[in-house]
Amino acid sequence: MIPAALCAVVLFLAIYSAQAVGFNGFGFVSRITWDLGNMYSDPVTIRGVQVPPGASYGILVFVVGTLLSSFIAILIAVPLSIGAAIFLSEAVPAKIRPVLSLLVELVAVVPSVVFGLWGIAVLIPFIGHYISPTGNGYGLLAASIVLALMITPIIATTLLDALLQVPKENRESAFALGATHFEVVSKAMLPMVRATLIGGIVLALGRALGETMAVLMVSGGGLNILPTSLFSPISTIASFIVSQLDSAEQDPTNMAVRSLAEIALVLFIITLAVNAGAKLLSSGVLTNVRHRKQ
Amino acid sequence: MKFNNIRRAMLRAGVAGLAVAAMTCSTRTAKAADVTLVETGSSLLYPLFNIWVPDFTAANPGIRLTTTSTGSGAGIAQAIKGLVQVGASDAYMSDALSKKNATMMSIPLAISSQAINYNLPGLNDKNIKLSGPILAGIYSGKITMWNDPMIKAANAGLDLPARVIIPVHRLDGSGDTFIFSQYLSDSTPMWKSGTGFGTTLSWPAITGELGAKGNTGMLSAAAANPYSIAYIGVSYADEVAKAGLGTAMLKNADGKYVLPASDTVGAAANSVVTDTPTDERISMIFAPGAKSYPIANYEYAIVNATQPDATTAGAIRTLLTWAITSGNDPKYLSQVHFLPLPAAIVTLSKTQISKIQ
Repeated sequence: MIPAALCAVVLFLAIYSAQAVGFNGFGFVSRITWDLGNMYSDPVTIRGVQVPPGASYGILVFVVGTLLSSFIAILIAVPLSIGAAIFLSEAVPAKIRPVLSLLVELVAVVPSVVFGLWGIAVLIPFIGHYISPTGNGYGLLAASIVLALMITPIIATTLLDALLQVPKENRESAFALGATHFEVVSKAMLPMVRATLIGGIVLALGRALGETMAVLMVSGGGLNILPTSLFSPISTIASFIVSQLDSAEQDPTNMAVRSLAEIALVLFIITLAVNAGAKLLSSGVLTNVRHRKQ
Repeated sequence: MKFNNIRRAMLRAGVAGLAVAAMTCSTRTAKAADVTLVETGSSLLYPLFNIWVPDFTAANPGIRLTTTSTGSGAGIAQAIKGLVQVGASDAYMSDALSKKNATMMSIPLAISSQAINYNLPGLNDKNIKLSGPILAGIYSGKITMWNDPMIKAANAGLDLPARVIIPVHRLDGSGDTFIFSQYLSDSTPMWKSGTGFGTTLSWPAITGELGAKGNTGMLSAAAANPYSIAYIGVSYADEVAKAGLGTAMLKNADGKYVLPASDTVGAAANSVVTDTPTDERISMIFAPGAKSYPIANYEYAIVNATQPDATTAGAIRTLLTWAITSGNDPKYLSQVHFLPLPAAIVTLSKTQISKIQ
């Protein structure tokens, strides 16, 4: 059932965007300018299809924005979640651990728009006043921090479950060998949960790559310009589709909506590639661990 | 025991009461829902439709009206597809769309306008003077500083700061972007041949420029960023004032600087009345006349002249006729800072409405 639904989605995107793929060519992912053309003048025929005059669709800015913001979010979230998971499994008494871990899990189900509101009300004025050299808080950094907060609980809870399942014997034999608490965690426990950690990061990355609303609210909506610093406005693929859909619907040739479908296809391919890459990585890590054991 | 009995009695009474209430409710709705009309589109028109609904349905109990706010593009697209009966749009349909869908009509319901707001600490109560070419320069990255010679020349005597301008534009498709870019196109040849106009633009790349979602997003971005400038629909005038932003005087086609107000927007509307064609698709941007405010527009209902049945067609005619007559009463329009249609336009709209069959 689920594979069939997946195939149907991909098939729909591919068929619906076919005309746009033909019109845009490979330049689609390397062009910086996204221009719907003049929808208020008569359509012209270019490369065999009708488009508004001046229409040119390029999504490099959004691809870069998506990858950069997700990557920075992961950079922020991973140390935070490792710290949180270790704290919960090692430093917190077993009695109150379920309560605290439930709280962490609850953060993961907070609707993204709430994070976006927090970003607008608290984070952006803070960045604008204290960090950004231009006084503008919207942009790559704000989007990355909001994303990082959204994905930290995902990584932390997956990691916590794995840490709690590390056999008691491993911990205790490490302690018996005279290891400090820090050494027990870093040398005896973390290596055993590395695969789970990577799995958690992949899950989190999937969420970050596709996150729409919160990013739309704090990213500053960069268009036609590549980010040059942490404070540059950016757009991500998902948020851009949302923001453009309404105007695209006014295109009498429908090419704008088809190009948006093509962007969705690209997002799908990126997500697929990231997941496949991570699968390879985690299975590689697994075999490494096994080798070392032998 | 006693308590239990009382509780049971109360429960029974409650259930009976509920049943009676449900029955009256259902008979009432059955009567009221003879025809259901759905309106969707412009987020600028949405508040007005919401103000209209109670009074309109009170006057016409046979018609139920559902309103949603989706965006002008969705309003046009869904009205064409026949998914909704009334599409609301800040922009009239393009020539290409009208040609492709010959039975679709653009019918003005009211007049709206747009303010250029800025956040210049110390100068927000001064109404600085701006023109189309200055705004085109700012939004194309040619004017980057508030103390640019062009801005200084228009504002003699004002102490403009040597700070970088942060231009804010709409990220989502918007009728506000449409009328703002029409003003720039009509007043500045360089903008017309370059970026042009539309509900979404391929904005020139400027470092530090911001995109915001919706009028509320524009408002909060401008309020959060000193030295920013933004275009905001006039329905948000109260919120703009509350946020302490400044409102610019704009240079009109006659070279005069005017503020958005009922007399200046009304002057713009009156100056294009005689030129309005029978299909009423006309821009009143950069209208002639010394008093005319340059960024004003009709708010449109996008309606199909050919309806599936006579009852629906009749209900749409009733709704639109009510909207441009009783609905144009200042008691409704002043709440969203809109202006009523001039009498000649009401006549034109009525002719269009009579074509809905």
